[in-house]
Amino acid sequence: MQTLSSTNGRPPAIQARALRRTFKGGIEAVRDIDLTIAQGEVFGFLGPNGAGKTTTVRMLCTLLPPTAGAATVAGLDVVSDGAEVRRRIGVALQEIGLDPAQSGRELLELQCGLYGITGRRGRDRAQELLELVGLTEAAERRTKTYSGGMKRRLDLASALVHSPEVLFLDEPTTGLDPASRVTIWDEVRRINSGGATVFLTTQYLEEADKLCDRVAIIDGGRIVAEGTPAKLKAGMGHDVVSLSLDGADPGVTESALAELPGLQRVVRQPEALALYVQDGAGSVAEIVRRLDRAQIQVDAITVSRPSLDDVFLKATGRRLEGKQAADEQPEEVSA
Amino acid sequence: MTEVLLLGRRAVREVVRYPEATIPTLFIPLFFLVVNIGQVSKTFPSTTPFLRGQGYVAFQLPVSLMFAVATATSGLALVTEIDLGYFDKLLVAPIRRSSLILGRLTADLTRGIAASGLVLVVGIALGARIQSGVLGALLIVLLSACFGVAYAGFGILVALRTRNVQATQSSFLLFFPLLFLTPNFVPFDRLSPLMETLARINPISYVIVGLRSLVINGWDAGEIAVCVGVIIGLGIILTGLSLRTIATYDR
Repeated sequence: MQTLSSTNGRPPAIQARALRRTFKGGIEAVRDIDLTIAQGEVFGFLGPNGAGKTTTVRMLCTLLPPTAGAATVAGLDVVSDGAEVRRRIGVALQEIGLDPAQSGRELLELQCGLYGITGRRGRDRAQELLELVGLTEAAERRTKTYSGGMKRRLDLASALVHSPEVLFLDEPTTGLDPASRVTIWDEVRRINSGGATVFLTTQYLEEADKLCDRVAIIDGGRIVAEGTPAKLKAGMGHDVVSLSLDGADPGVTESALAELPGLQRVVRQPEALALYVQDGAGSVAEIVRRLDRAQIQVDAITVSRPSLDDVFLKATGRRLEGKQAADEQPEEVSA
Repeated sequence: MTEVLLLGRRAVREVVRYPEATIPTLFIPLFFLVVNIGQVSKTFPSTTPFLRGQGYVAFQLPVSLMFAVATATSGLALVTEIDLGYFDKLLVAPIRRSSLILGRLTADLTRGIAASGLVLVVGIALGARIQSGVLGALLIVLLSACFGVAYAGFGILVALRTRNVQATQSSFLLFFPLLFLTPNFVPFDRLSPLMETLARINPISYVIVGLRSLVINGWDAGEIAVCVGVIIGLGIILTGLSLRTIATYDR
């Protein structure tokens, strides 16, 4: 799939062409993906565990050589100009890379030193970043005593010591509580407003929706959809009308609405039905009439625009959030 | 060079902050020193020709020094770092990969100096006299520490190749046969023919003999030169292999 986005005449921050990574045993983690990410974009790479997100990030960060294809970051080839790429990027990987024996301040000062920011400049930069991520009070404590959220914030700070042009964040909020997640989001927005391009992998649809200018959905090592969240959702061509069943039989309810004008499909959810209709608001009256005729009572009717989860469902045939965790598949019925 | 110093300082800090990783490596050599002396001092009194008027402690001291400095500590620290993900963070920094190993070896040198210094002091307290004097004693500490640095390359190599904590921990066990297939209890000519052959082809033997010569004989240029040569050779081979492994790590 060839995907190109506007780069406003400037070289793209990240570009990949037919990027592939095959592991021992023939496991194809990433299969010929194409990406073009403009400078200053926040790009979301959305997919479930094992989809190929981390492998892609590791190739773009020069940690893993591609089996085939090519990629550039900040205009530099990730294989032949690896050293220069590393100078231009900041990386916070999925596994929080912290040394438990060091304090937060020591870790940041070391990180500064590794990027050539030494002495007074290094100490000042470390202090600035500690303040930025709200860790000044814990600065002298060893990182092994930090909570998950504190570790994640310190890891993010350590990726920023040299003000990178391109920042890779591999599932930066996985395992965090909602408050810490929002803190990280704010930080990502702040970093991006300073001009940095952000490449963000996530399993969270809300994160991709709220943070990213564009998203690509990766599944089984292939990019199956790409675009702005709004465009992807608009491309669905329908609204979602959710019925809270309040004990009503899902099968009977579904039958009662089977001939609803504009109905594209019905997805059964626990205690609810999701109706994909062309015009959600315009269909409510007819839905109520049909339910009334069939003497079916529902608890609530809500109309919403399609979510990225719906986009994901359409692209991959399954949902990413909620049911994914329980490894459940929604029961889908074509209308 | 700056990055090696920065990473070395971090590794030394780690040694200081985790004494529980260093103390057992000191307990074993001191235990062996005391137990061995206690067991065979009557068998080998100071009138024994190869002791040259000293107690058996002088003969055993180099063996304990070797025990004190030959550890898999750096390998273990490295493999733990790989496990935690911090190693990736360092790999993605714009530094030479070799500095990740050289930084670790800086800590090994520091630890080796401290550990061999302590064992030497205990040996002297137990009656050993350093025939080569103060300078000889300093050289003993330095050579022991350098041997520790050279040997650390093995643990690092295992850590990088296996990325497995257990395997790296077990790599230390290899040192036991290497240490005991040497003239560790008696000189070469008092060993059985088979053991003498094995000891003579074991490079570790020449490190022990070199250090022992500084304790018992004084300044023997030939023995010291061979000892230095073996340490340098081991260092070049093991560190070289580690550097090559890290250069191709995930590439």
